[in-house]
Amino acid sequence: MPREALLVETMVELADTLVDDFDVVELLTRLADRCVEVLDVSAAGLMVARPGGGELQVVASSSDAMRVLELFELQAEEGPCPDCYHTGEPVLNENLATVDGRWPRFAPHALEAGFRSVHALPMRLRRQTIGALNLFREAEGGLDEADVHAGQALADIATIAILQQRAAADARVLNEQLSQALNTRIVIEQAKGVLAEQANLDMEQSFARLRTYARSHNIRLADVAQRVIDGTLSAGSLDPGTNT
Amino acid sequence: MAVDRRLRILSELDRATGTLCEVGARVTEMSGAGIMLMSGDLPSGSVCTTNDVSALIEELQYSLGEGPCVDAYNQKRPVLEPDLANPSESRWPAFTAPVLEAGVRAVFGFPLQVGTVRLGALNLYRDRSGPLGEDQHADALVMAGVAAQAVLAMQAGAPPGELAAELEAGGDFRYVVHQASGMVAAQLHVTVGVALIRLRAYAFANDRPLSQVAEDVVSRKLRFDGHEDRDLGA
Repeated sequence: MPREALLVETMVELADTLVDDFDVVELLTRLADRCVEVLDVSAAGLMVARPGGGELQVVASSSDAMRVLELFELQAEEGPCPDCYHTGEPVLNENLATVDGRWPRFAPHALEAGFRSVHALPMRLRRQTIGALNLFREAEGGLDEADVHAGQALADIATIAILQQRAAADARVLNEQLSQALNTRIVIEQAKGVLAEQANLDMEQSFARLRTYARSHNIRLADVAQRVIDGTLSAGSLDPGTNT
Repeated sequence: MAVDRRLRILSELDRATGTLCEVGARVTEMSGAGIMLMSGDLPSGSVCTTNDVSALIEELQYSLGEGPCVDAYNQKRPVLEPDLANPSESRWPAFTAPVLEAGVRAVFGFPLQVGTVRLGALNLYRDRSGPLGEDQHADALVMAGVAAQAVLAMQAGAPPGELAAELEAGGDFRYVVHQASGMVAAQLHVTVGVALIRLRAYAFANDRPLSQVAEDVVSRKLRFDGHEDRDLGA
């Protein structure tokens, strides 16, 4: 298949997986594999920072050797990927043997692993850089312009996939918090009703008793309410007149 | 296209001093709108309603557990009834008559969701029959998405375990129903869950909104004593 066609097919395939419930690690692993097939590179890997500008992590690699090398980059805190992440700009290296001390620990290590040129493209959406796509070659020489464009397009897809997955996770957490807040409130309202009936109080008085008991016994209001509903805490024990 | 719709709705929201529901009704050119939250497969309350009719539509679905929003949420898709007086399929037996009586001729429910996370449903109604136009349908879908994100964004600012102040202030979460459940539970020596079922059954049998029955219990006009449910207000 010609490269253009393979690239288009990859785009379509990846876009197709951007549905509601996708496995982001699987998607990124497939993307790393496809980089090796589509671009003139020997190995590819993706590093992504934790949300909120945290540390970089290796999330997907096209081979184990690549993964080990990427982990070394993180450990040594140097290499094309950290540089690319911190500047938000592509790192395009022609010859690893002549980097002149730019990566004193990483360069010999990568040469030993068989790579001759290393590149990284930013994973960026507007001004936010969330990681970088590493593209390593066993041959010397730079990536041609078409490969840089294609690689950047693949990096952009990966970026959208990750941000979409994070937004979905945030929504899930917020929705759970919303349900929980509502449930807590319901339990408190129910307890007010139970107490109002048992002690012949209005709702405001009931609430005041629940709150006073919670404060003086250092128990969460929601827990006091739950005990009132369960019947394990009686109206009598909440009555400040009889309460010891 | 969807981006354009989204931007237009967001700019309306910026300008509007009113609520999400008012914008929802306006952009879709409907008579009214409501936003309902769901918990499990039942409504848990309203974020907003635009008028008495949309409030009734929400109240009936809350009381009866049936209607376009309940279906839209449970079926995860828009539920459209363009001609409520001559419906294409017979559904919502208890919901339909009182809503028609209030002047509703068409109702539409759109699930409120962000990705796979579902919160509730957007309810739109119109006082004349007829299907949604293509633009109206597309606007309603975008509106439901924007509303879902807006509700979650409000909750994001709330202290842990508490409902966001904006939701608390603008919404109606039928607290009186839960207060009444507590009172009836104590009257009948049953659990609050059973008490709520008794309240629902009473409301249904007497053709009254659940919230209204609950108000009577809380104001001690109505008492459940296990043999007969005496109305002390008469």
